[in-house]
This record gives sequence, C-alpha cells and structure tokens, in this order.
Amino acid sequence: MVFSSLLFLFRFLPAVFLLYYIAPRKLRNLVLFLFSLFFYAWGEPKYVFLMLFAITMDYCLGRLIDRSLNQGRKRAAKGFLLVSVLVNLSILGFFKYADFLIGTVNSLTGLDLPLLGIPLPIGISFFTFQTMSYTIDVYKRATTVQTNWVNYGTYVSMFPQLIAGPIVQYKTIAEQMKNRRETSDDFVEGISRFLIGMGKKVLLANNIGLLCDTVMALPAAELPVLTAWIGAIAYTFQIYFDFSGYSDMAIGLGKMFGFHFLENFNYPYIAKSITEFWRRWHISLSSWFREYIYIPLGGNRRGAARQIRNILVVWLLTGIWHGASWNYVLWGVYYGILLILEKFVFKNALKKLPGVLRNVYTMVLVILGWVIFKCEDLSYCLSYLRAMFGGFGQQLIGEESLYLLGNYGVLLVILLFACTMIPKKIAGRVMGRLGEASWIGTLLKAVWYAGIFIISLAYLVDATYNPFLYFRF
Amino acid sequence: MKKAQNWFLILLFLGAVFGFAGVTLVQKSRDFSERENRALAQLPDVNLEEILSGEFEQDYETYLSDQFVGRDAWIGLKTDVERLMGKQEIKDVYFAEDDYLIESHAGTFETAQAQTNIQLLASFLEKYREQFLGNRMTVLVAPNAVEVLDYKLPLYAPDSGEADYLEQIRSAVPEGTWFDAEAVLKSHLNEQLYYRTDHHWTTLAAFYTYREWAEEKGFGTVSLADYERETLTTEFLGTIESKIGQAEVPDTIERFEREDEGGYTLQYNQVKETSQDLYHMEMLETKDKYAVFYGGNQALIQAKTEVKNGRKLLVIKDSYANCFVPFTYRDFEQVDMVDIRYFNSSLEELIAEEGYTDLLFLYNASGFAEDTSLMKLMN
Repeated sequence: MVFSSLLFLFRFLPAVFLLYYIAPRKLRNLVLFLFSLFFYAWGEPKYVFLMLFAITMDYCLGRLIDRSLNQGRKRAAKGFLLVSVLVNLSILGFFKYADFLIGTVNSLTGLDLPLLGIPLPIGISFFTFQTMSYTIDVYKRATTVQTNWVNYGTYVSMFPQLIAGPIVQYKTIAEQMKNRRETSDDFVEGISRFLIGMGKKVLLANNIGLLCDTVMALPAAELPVLTAWIGAIAYTFQIYFDFSGYSDMAIGLGKMFGFHFLENFNYPYIAKSITEFWRRWHISLSSWFREYIYIPLGGNRRGAARQIRNILVVWLLTGIWHGASWNYVLWGVYYGILLILEKFVFKNALKKLPGVLRNVYTMVLVILGWVIFKCEDLSYCLSYLRAMFGGFGQQLIGEESLYLLGNYGVLLVILLFACTMIPKKIAGRVMGRLGEASWIGTLLKAVWYAGIFIISLAYLVDATYNPFLYFRF
Repeated sequence: MKKAQNWFLILLFLGAVFGFAGVTLVQKSRDFSERENRALAQLPDVNLEEILSGEFEQDYETYLSDQFVGRDAWIGLKTDVERLMGKQEIKDVYFAEDDYLIESHAGTFETAQAQTNIQLLASFLEKYREQFLGNRMTVLVAPNAVEVLDYKLPLYAPDSGEADYLEQIRSAVPEGTWFDAEAVLKSHLNEQLYYRTDHHWTTLAAFYTYREWAEEKGFGTVSLADYERETLTTEFLGTIESKIGQAEVPDTIERFEREDEGGYTLQYNQVKETSQDLYHMEMLETKDKYAVFYGGNQALIQAKTEVKNGRKLLVIKDSYANCFVPFTYRDFEQVDMVDIRYFNSSLEELIAEEGYTDLLFLYNASGFAEDTSLMKLMN
C-alpha cells in the first residue's frame, strides 16, 4: 500500500485511527502491529511471512545476545550477532541481488544460467537494515533489549516507515515503544507534515516526473543541450520531492501516533559541497553506513590510506544498496571519489569560492550523479551525459526545449523555490506576526492544508481516470 | 499552541478522512460513466486465491477510484490546476487557440503499425486497380486537426509528423488515386472544420471535401447555397473533452439537406429491415452525439437511392465518412459503406456480388495509422 492512494486515505487511515485511539494504552502497539502487517500484505501477501520470520529471528537473537552478555559469554554473543547479520544479509542478497549476480556471471562467462525472476519484497532494504541495527546495538550495549515480541514487531513493521524509510534505528525510539504520549500538538504537526509530504509527492514530484519521462523517451543523441539539461534537472527535482515527500509523510504519520522519528532530509539542494550534500540527503541511510560500516572499519583514525579505503567501501555499498544494477555501483563510486577529492584535494580551494558558486558546483555534480542513478542502461546513460555536454554536435536550444519550458516553467520556478528554506522562513514570519496560536493563523493554516489536500485528491482520482474511447474513429 | 485551535485543525482533518470514508462506503455504485463512456469497476468478490495473487487488492483500488464521490468534478479540478500552472498540453491534448482542444497524436505516425498499414492499403488497391480504372478509385485520408489547424497550436509545439505520413501514403498508392483533402481544407481555414471538443471533422469540412471530390469525379458543381444547414445539437462534448474532463465551449453538430433531396433506403448489415433515415436523433440524447450519423459505426450499411445512372460506390471507411457519405446519395444509385474493423465477411465476395463501379477509401490520418484490422482488406 502507498500513502498517496485513496485506499490509504479513506480506508486504512480512518480504521487505524479509530482502533488505535479506542484501544487501551497496553494494546496500542498490537493495533499498530496488526495494521502494519495488513498494510504490508496488501497487494503482495506472501512476503509478510518473510518479514515475520526476520522479526522473530532478530527478536530471539537479540534476547540471546543480551543473555549471553549478561552471563559474560562474549563469544557466544558475538556468534549470535554473526548469525543475525548473516541471515539478514542473505535475505537481502537473495531477494534483491540474486538475479543481478546471475546476470553478471552470465555476461562474464557466456553461460546461460536461468534468472530466478523473484519479485522484490517491498521495503526489504529498509527493514533488514533496521533489524541489523537492532542486534548490533544490543551487542554493543548501545540499547536495551526488547523483551516483548509484539513491541519488537511493531518497531520493525511500523507502517509509516516500512516501505521507504526513514531507516529508524531501534535505539532512537526504544523508549517511545514503551512510553509515549500522543498529544494534540503532535497530532496537528503530524497532519501538516503528512499533507506537505503528500503535496510534494503527488503535486510536485509526479508532475515534474512527466517532464523527465518526456525528455528521456527521446533518443539521447538528438537532444539539444538545453533539453538534456531540462530532463536531468527535472529528475533532480523529481527524486528529491518524491523521496523527501515520502519521508515527510512517514514522519507526520509517526507523530499522529506519538512517535518522533529523526529527520531524513535537510534541504540537500542548498548544500555548498558534496560532503555537505550527503549530510543533508537521506540522513538516516548515511548515518547507518557511518555508524555500522565506516566507523567499525576504522573511519578516519588510521591514516589517510585507510580512510580512503573506508570511504570507497562505504560508497560502493551505498551505491549497490540503492539497486541491483551497475549504474548504482557507478553512482556510489562516483560519490566516493568526489568525497575523497573534496577531503584531500580541493577542500581549501573550495572554501575560497563565493557561496553561490559552491552551490552551483555542488548541484552540477549532483545533477550529473542523478543521470547515472536514473539510467539503468549504461550505454544510454553515457549517451545522455554526452548529450548534456553537446558531445553529439547537437544544437544548444531546440524548439521543443522552449516548448517544454513554456509548459513546465511555472512548476520549475515553484520547485526551485521549494528546495530552499525561503518558504519555511516566510511561513515562520507570517505565523510570527499573526501568532501561531491565534484563530486567524489557525484559519490560514486550515485553508493552506485543505488546499493541498483537495488538489492532491484531484490528482489521485485522476491517476486512474481512464476514459474508454471505444467510439473513437 | 492553544488546545481549541489544535482541535479545530484535527477535527477538520479527521472530518475529511472519515467523511470521505463514510460517503464512499454508503453511496450506491454507478454502473456506467457517461463521460468516460465505459462501465465502472464494481466491488470485487472476496476470494482467497485472488487475495493471495494480489488481484483482489488491485480490483478493489480500481473500484474505489472508479466509484469515488464526485469523480468527474475531481478530474475537472485537476485540469483547471494544470491550466493555471501554464500547461498547454495535458494527456496528449493541446489547449489550442479559440478554445480548440487538439490531440497531439505524438508518436502515432512513427509506429510499425503505421508503416504496415500503408503497405496493406497499397496491396489492397493494387489488387482491385483493374476493376476501378480511370478516376473510379479514390484514396481520401483526411488530415487531423493537429495538421490542418497547426497555426492554432501552442508556441513551439513539436511537429506531429502527420504531413510526412500523408506524403508517405500518397507516394505508396497507385498513380491518380490520391485525393488531396488537406489542400481543400486549408483553403477554408477561417471556417470551423473540426469540432473543438471532438476528434472528428465537421459536416462543413466534409462538405467542402465532398464538393471538390464530386467535381473531380464529374458529378458537376454544387454550392453551399444549395443546402439548408440544420443544427442538430449545440451541446456536443466529444471524445477529447472526455479525455481531459473539461472544455470551454460545447460544439454544434449540423446536417446539410437539399430541397431537391431524393429519397433512399438503408439496409444495415444485410438484415431484412430497412430504414429511410440515416439520422439517429435518439443518439443526440447520449454522450456519443456524433453517432447521430447512421447510429455510429456499422460493419456494412447499404443505401439504394433514387438516382439511376448505373454507378455503384463502395466506401471503405472509418467514422470520418459518416458525415461525408450522405452527400454522395445524389450521385450514385447505390452507396455501400464497409467499416473493415467490424466487417468479418469476405470483402472480395461482396465486391464480386455487388458489381461496384467506384471505390472510395476514406479514413482520417491518425485513425488510419492506428488501425489494427486493415489486413482484413485482403479477405
């Protein structure tokens, strides 16, 4: 199930609100757990058992690790941890990467091993990372063990963050699993966050996605340079508003049930270096890799050579985590190299540039990175990049570049504006003047959010609008 | 923040969520959407196997969306928002000048099907060339609005490729059979040649084309003044309006009649019953008002007129012909229309039995490019 659907808004959400708030406090996690399983099972029921297996296994291993540690049997604890990590990685490896490996082996050796064709279980990259963070943290004594299966299952399967993150580390909400207070302040904030996220996804990301699709459907070698950049920029906007919109919805929904997840995006496109970009983009993933891979490998504490190795390992894995295809590997390595260059080569040179230029430098590299990320077909990817630099001797500006700008100009300006902190500042100033708690401020909010809700709804209904024109011709 | 204001916002949100949930739960399902012209999805039956395969879930979401309260209004709202954002094209429809909605036909003319169809038409014409020698064989592929009214399109709109495609057809068909409808239409650009909300040409456009064609075939000159133009409806919202759920101006459908009009007898699909009137006025009460001509597309419609000149015309056609063919009833003693998409008997036998003297192949360009049944021409 996805949040931006009529089913979620007008069937699932009312039902979960009703039962959650009717239920006595003791049963509220159970209600969330059951609804989350339903949420996950909708559309592809079989994999819910895979998730239940992962939940139960890591729950048991967590307890075993804890008990072994309590008994001073450190090696046994390490053994249990190893089992947890290996099983999680095997699940992820099998379901996500098996066909990729077989395909690679086939193309390297000329063999013709049959592909397995297993559909990817939704959210598997997210929940396996969450369960691993839990057992590792129990082992490191960074968190207390969870002794209630339902509570643990609720943590792993919790529908707001199940499908597309943020990757909530257990230790950040361990306390909230037991004791949390749902407040009206949180609920109101949750509504605003949820609707902002829905607007980002349904109104901004989906629409600019059409522009990207239009451009990328054309043969790359014939694209005027401007059109190629328009397409790449459109995708840059699409992926940010899609992904951060989803995180907003997750965080907002969490708040409606009294949870406080950590932020996942922090205006990444205002970053003034690649290093800063990655502190602002998909924060929960970067923190995960930092905490569970980069630092255990030694981080930057064992000399430059080791640090370079560690950065490359982390970014190779980050790349492959995003998808089972070579372009993601390339994309990860691209960022690994950029980060190494920034750290060791032009760190100081960059500092001397004016802020605007540093932002332009960052965004050009980020936009090129998204082209690699977007194009799974590597030869198309290279042609597209070449087209962006006029490598086919095409014209700079074509008529259709202007046509696309005419059609999407307003949206592009809105998107550009929405990437910055300006809207937030304006809203803050207006609310400051009116008074956050005043009735006029409240009414203004109501109109704004109702507007987003209603227009998003029009787009959701239209998404399946499908006139059957059998009387055509 | 003060509690009362909080609760006001919370109740507003929950009101919307529970309100829509409640309304969509209790309302009665509609069976059919006039605007979309299709049956709407109904509540699917619960069935374990379909739940496990995910089919039930998909059907349920389709049902929810199809039956969503105020569906048509939501679609219109979305189009309004897009227009406000400066979009000049939605779902392959241009918002052109003078409130014309014009289909872009993007990609239509570059498909393999489009190429195949030219070959199929060429072989068909070759097969019967001997039977309809001289100027007795005509290929009339009418251009679409996107080509004829291209000056109304938004600035820098990409080329549809239709002009190239028409040229390809022209050079593939036998010498002397191509009729240049585009030239005729382009000499009347200040008049309404296409509906603003529908993909068809108007009766007026069909008339101008007929006039040139009839003159070329030697039936003499007719003039617009010979006809009385009667408005059949002023509330026509056609297929393009259906696509985007919104139009500024509804269209007018006309029929042209002459004082000295001779009678005719129609026979549909070779059944016993005959009729004396090609206009199906009851269709004006439905969404599909263009079907006022002949009640819509039929496999075979045969007309016997009061003309006695031994000329028998066979029209292989799509719906662009429906407002064109009535004009020919004063020139031929028999006019048969075959819609090859629905016609499943042997065309060869029909042609042998009826002894036609003239052949007219009348399609519109995008319909021709997209048609998937032209191989039946060789049956």
